[in-house]
Amino acid sequence: MDVIVCLKQVVDPELPARDFAIDPATRRQVREGRPLVLSTYDENALEVALQLRDRGNVKVTALTIAPQTTVGDAVRLALAMGADEAVVVDDPRSPARPGAEIAAMLASAIRKIGSFDLVLTGCESADWVERVVAPLLAEELAATCVTFVSQVETHDGALVVRRQAEDGVHVVEARLPAVISISSDETNKPRLPKVKDIITAKRKPLQTWSLEDLEPPGDGSMADVDIRDVAIPRRDARCEFIQGDPAEAAGKLAQRLRALKLL
Amino acid sequence: MAVALTDEQRLLQDTVREFAARELLPVAAELDQQARFPADILAKAAALGLMGLTVPEEYGGPGLDLVASVVAQEELARASAGFQTIVSVNNALVCDPIVRWGTDAQKRRYLPDLVAGRRLGCYCLTEPTSGSDAMSLRTVAALEDGEWVLNGTKVFVTSGVEASLCVVYARSENIPGAAGVSAFLVEKSFPGLTVGKVEKKLGIRCSSTAELLFDGCRVPAENMLGARGEGGKIALATLDGGRIGIAAQALGITRACLEESTAYVQQRKQFGRAIAEFQAIQWALADMATRLDAARLLTHRAAALRGAGRPCAKEAAMAKLFASETAMWAAHRAVQLFGGYGYIQDYPVERYFRDAKITEIYEGTSEIQRVVISRRVLAEA
Repeated sequence: MDVIVCLKQVVDPELPARDFAIDPATRRQVREGRPLVLSTYDENALEVALQLRDRGNVKVTALTIAPQTTVGDAVRLALAMGADEAVVVDDPRSPARPGAEIAAMLASAIRKIGSFDLVLTGCESADWVERVVAPLLAEELAATCVTFVSQVETHDGALVVRRQAEDGVHVVEARLPAVISISSDETNKPRLPKVKDIITAKRKPLQTWSLEDLEPPGDGSMADVDIRDVAIPRRDARCEFIQGDPAEAAGKLAQRLRALKLL
Repeated sequence: MAVALTDEQRLLQDTVREFAARELLPVAAELDQQARFPADILAKAAALGLMGLTVPEEYGGPGLDLVASVVAQEELARASAGFQTIVSVNNALVCDPIVRWGTDAQKRRYLPDLVAGRRLGCYCLTEPTSGSDAMSLRTVAALEDGEWVLNGTKVFVTSGVEASLCVVYARSENIPGAAGVSAFLVEKSFPGLTVGKVEKKLGIRCSSTAELLFDGCRVPAENMLGARGEGGKIALATLDGGRIGIAAQALGITRACLEESTAYVQQRKQFGRAIAEFQAIQWALADMATRLDAARLLTHRAAALRGAGRPCAKEAAMAKLFASETAMWAAHRAVQLFGGYGYIQDYPVERYFRDAKITEIYEGTSEIQRVVISRRVLAEA
């Protein structure tokens, strides 16, 4: 089975808030000078792919659309964790592109890779949280789509997946080819690369394509998003003391929380 | 020497930092307080490849360069100096001399197991009456019926309780000093080898430190490491690498002191403001950060030289001396910055203070490092 995992490099979400800035010209997060990491759920997606490979005859290809100048660490990590090969589409503008555009480009890159049975993405990116790439990519590839999946198993040529939903867990059978977006749970915590694999990662196949290598998106492109404004939310902290004996204070606290619509 | 880390070294650093965050940091205080040997975490470290970092690929290791090994070990020591000690001994004092002086058969027999964590190694040089004067050692090795028979006592053996392979230095020739010493690879199961007293220590308490008793211990002739009479040379050359490992440990402790202090002084308020706003505190942080960088540069230089196969005794001694005295100094400052909270076990700097002291003592005291350095300085004059 050929599995393609789509990876996005984002500014480290663990950075302190004071290092977060928005470029007013592009209305995008400033990336320069900030450490870049793999988007959180993308690492879970890679882990799910590697678990499938641990269990059977699976080839895992890591695919990313990113400025080639900064993507080295992400590709190195993916290969060291165990991806068999990697494809980078060099696109200096990719951090500014909306998810719909990225989905169309990923579809084009996947068609160029050729065969695939399963495409895995993170369920949302750690920076924009649009959650659109997987469904739009599935539409472009005419593949089955299941979102917010934490576990994937193969069964008689089909997939059985566990999907997190508001009312609990859905167990879904899906036909291949499929595009599945991955969320996190205790079973797909990203593995650490072995020291030996860090050293040997550079021997694995890595292809770098330019935008010209991809077929241009057709007229039906769904990339029609215009970001008008972006702002950093202001957070105020206030402290209120509630007086009274414990029973009385508890009653007042409940009333206060209800008034704030928190209960 | 490159000052910046390579891409691979950075990925290794991230990986070991994450390993330490997941596996070591949450239990480091508990391991220390209970003096519990972390067998479970060592197994995970071995699975990652941390137990034989520089062992060549053909013997099951990742074949890392020595600077990368130092980078990895600093990360482990940042979380738990006691854990790093066990790893450092296995890497620098056991795997390394086998790689350098072992026969192909010895390498095939022992290295893959040492790398995979199926065996743990220890280094037996110090004796009750030979510490800094290591080459006055009295353990004897006599050839009988084609086997070496070892008699004597080794003390302060790191991992002495759990190790299953001991690199033992013993006097095989009736000559005083280094020329009479040979090295042996002694399996713990060989008859005549028992564990004696297990020490109770001030710091690095999750590692064991034990006495090993050799009472007619029989060692096959093929288990001699290097040639007859070459043991003194092997012991001292091995210690150059060991000292770089201890320097890496001291870097980890110093960084822990700096990071914990930096966080604490920003949230601790006295006289109506964070104590980080007082210049006396700022200067302590500045000195810690500066000395940490200087110690790291010395350590990476020593590692780069040794990795390139160049002489490094002076540079390794300088790195070990400066890094270890920096760790002790930084721990002293950190406890002072924390005040009363630095003196109790609720905060980790109390542990760093206890852990730091050993770095000035083992694998050559600060005084011995100064002897090594000054000899070279005088010889080069």
